[in-house]
Amino acid sequence: MQLFKAKAGYTSQIKTVSGNDKIRNFLFSLGCSEGEDITLISILAGNYIINIKDSRYAIDKKMAKAIEVI
Amino acid sequence: MKIALAGNPNSGKTTLFNAITGKTEYVGNWPGVTVEKKEANLNRKFEKIFSKGRVVDLPGAYSIAPFTGEEAITRDFVLGESPDVIINIVDANSLERSLFFTTQLLELGIPVVIALNKQDIVRRHGNKTDIEGLAKTLKCKIVETIANDGEGLKELIKVAANLAESNNSQKAPEFNNKGTENENKARQQFVKDVVDKHFIKKRDTSKVTTSDKADRIVANAFWGLPIFAIIMWAVYAFSIQGLGGFLSEYFNEVIFGEIVPDAANGFLEAVGVHPLLQALIVDGAIGGVGAVIGFLPLIMVLFFCLGLLEDSGYMARVAVVMDRYFKKIGLSGKSIIPMIVGSGCSIPGVMATRTIEDENEKRMTTILTPFVPCGAKLPIIALFAAVFFPASTWVAPSMYILAFIMIAIGGLILKKIFVWENTSSFIIELPEYKIPSLKHALTQMIKQAKAFIIKASTIILVMNTLVWIMQTYSWSFQVVEDSGLSILASIGGFIAPLLIPLGFVGWQLAAATITGFIAKENVVATFAIILIASSEEALHMPGGVLTQLFTPVTAYAFLVFNLFTPPCFAAIGAMNAEMSNRKWLGKAILFQLSVGYIMAMIITQIGTIVVYGELSIGFVPAIFVSILYIVLITVLIKRANRKKAQMRKVAQ
Repeated sequence: MQLFKAKAGYTSQIKTVSGNDKIRNFLFSLGCSEGEDITLISILAGNYIINIKDSRYAIDKKMAKAIEVI
Repeated sequence: MKIALAGNPNSGKTTLFNAITGKTEYVGNWPGVTVEKKEANLNRKFEKIFSKGRVVDLPGAYSIAPFTGEEAITRDFVLGESPDVIINIVDANSLERSLFFTTQLLELGIPVVIALNKQDIVRRHGNKTDIEGLAKTLKCKIVETIANDGEGLKELIKVAANLAESNNSQKAPEFNNKGTENENKARQQFVKDVVDKHFIKKRDTSKVTTSDKADRIVANAFWGLPIFAIIMWAVYAFSIQGLGGFLSEYFNEVIFGEIVPDAANGFLEAVGVHPLLQALIVDGAIGGVGAVIGFLPLIMVLFFCLGLLEDSGYMARVAVVMDRYFKKIGLSGKSIIPMIVGSGCSIPGVMATRTIEDENEKRMTTILTPFVPCGAKLPIIALFAAVFFPASTWVAPSMYILAFIMIAIGGLILKKIFVWENTSSFIIELPEYKIPSLKHALTQMIKQAKAFIIKASTIILVMNTLVWIMQTYSWSFQVVEDSGLSILASIGGFIAPLLIPLGFVGWQLAAATITGFIAKENVVATFAIILIASSEEALHMPGGVLTQLFTPVTAYAFLVFNLFTPPCFAAIGAMNAEMSNRKWLGKAILFQLSVGYIMAMIITQIGTIVVYGELSIGFVPAIFVSILYIVLITVLIKRANRKKAQMRKVAQ
């Protein structure tokens, strides 16, 4: 399912990341790519706070829709 | 010998740079503070270990392949200028992500030493790194550091010196599938295995922490905006009306109002200087520069507060809060960071737009950031508030509120006038909160104070001397009795008709407006010089000499005019550098001028009717100008709509 539909506290693995190459490559360099662990910490002001490889990021709804999790 | 500092954003590169060079470059606790490369010599205390070291601080990058403009600077430097040694700063708390970039750096052949930074946080979390094992696997030297308090830096420089002198080419760790299509995937797997093997993690980072709980409050959909507004209000109120305002008043009244001019007059009279030269020095130089320097405490307090705020980690959260509002007006949540930085000074503010990935959002932010009242506009605001509105506390805050309203409206108009597709997405790393360092805030404050004094004693001093000369002499270089016959008056008189629709009458206002384009502090200084002849009273007294030129309504309009017109030449230069396109720079300046002009016009014309129940000067020309602008905007919007329709057709 899309990360967008997950609830806070959801821990899983990333299945696919869609979007243009530039953004996908950037996300890849952060470790946001297929097979990596991801935790949705909270949803704040329409943004998704995620934990990947020991770091916190805020991403918007559009990106949360582009990340497919198991 | 060149030492390059490279690493992920917010890993502490600039803090380390400052620690080993003794510089005070701008640091902050959010990713992307450094947007240009900075160079300096290694501090003397390292001279024995590493002689003639030149350190280059590079913007943070997550990978050798750039995503934003400032990341490209890092790649170009490392690849193009082959430094003698690279210090790769790695935040030990996000080891796995950081080592991805590290392995790429190791493959360049340039010797690399890893500074495993932020050890204090690692220890606090109870994690452990097997340094020896990690170094062996990566085939490079590793030094544990805490850049904030200098731990491990001597050792780091020693290792870097040895590497730079040895001239050995860096070996890179081997992993399967290198050089194939799946190289990056393989690299990621390799890094993961390395970290699993050499990093003992006691703390599960996917658990909700105190920092996350704090985020749920400050970045809350409902509370986020009010909290931000209260914090900013507190910062500005404390700077302008609180401590900063109090100290500025003392500076203005006692030091530059009495002590300094009296002492200078006494001295010059004793020496027997020509009275005209004495007037030039006391009224021109001291009077003008003093009027500006008097506001120094205000600016220092402001930068101190901003320093604390920037160090706390709150800035990244504001970007999260603002994103959904800013998206609607064509900006990114990250646009708020240049704006907050710009409330100190527009130049770093405009430069901070570089971290915005999307070209259109970046451009819009560059155009709108100078609307935020910067430190140089504060003296004008403080002066006018004191003279015309001594009893009202709403004047200074209203400038900030108005600035944000106009940023919103300006964004909407720009979005209507210009054609672009919105393809942006928002992502920002959230650094852990920390207790802001007083030392850091003090360093920033002193640095800015120095810059302000230098500016006042160079460009503003020169301008003031010129203004004084121009208002003392006529074109035939005769001293004039009536300054209305001076050079300055005739130049001002040339521009003055343009300001009539705004209700600004007189060459004095035009002259101040012109000098204000060079630097906004000049507005205050120019008034100080022009009016010193007509009154003995200090410039900033409530109901003082400025009331000869303005009514409270036109005074407010004049404030607004200065708020929105381009801040200074240097900021225009910064805008030019960020836009790297003359046509866009031209559009940006025209837009800013128009907004300043129209806003001032509206306030004067409507304000005069409402407050005094009569028509203001320039009412008829104002109507014409309004019609002109309405036609212009309609035409531009129609043209943009046509283009948009065309684009849609092509897309289909």
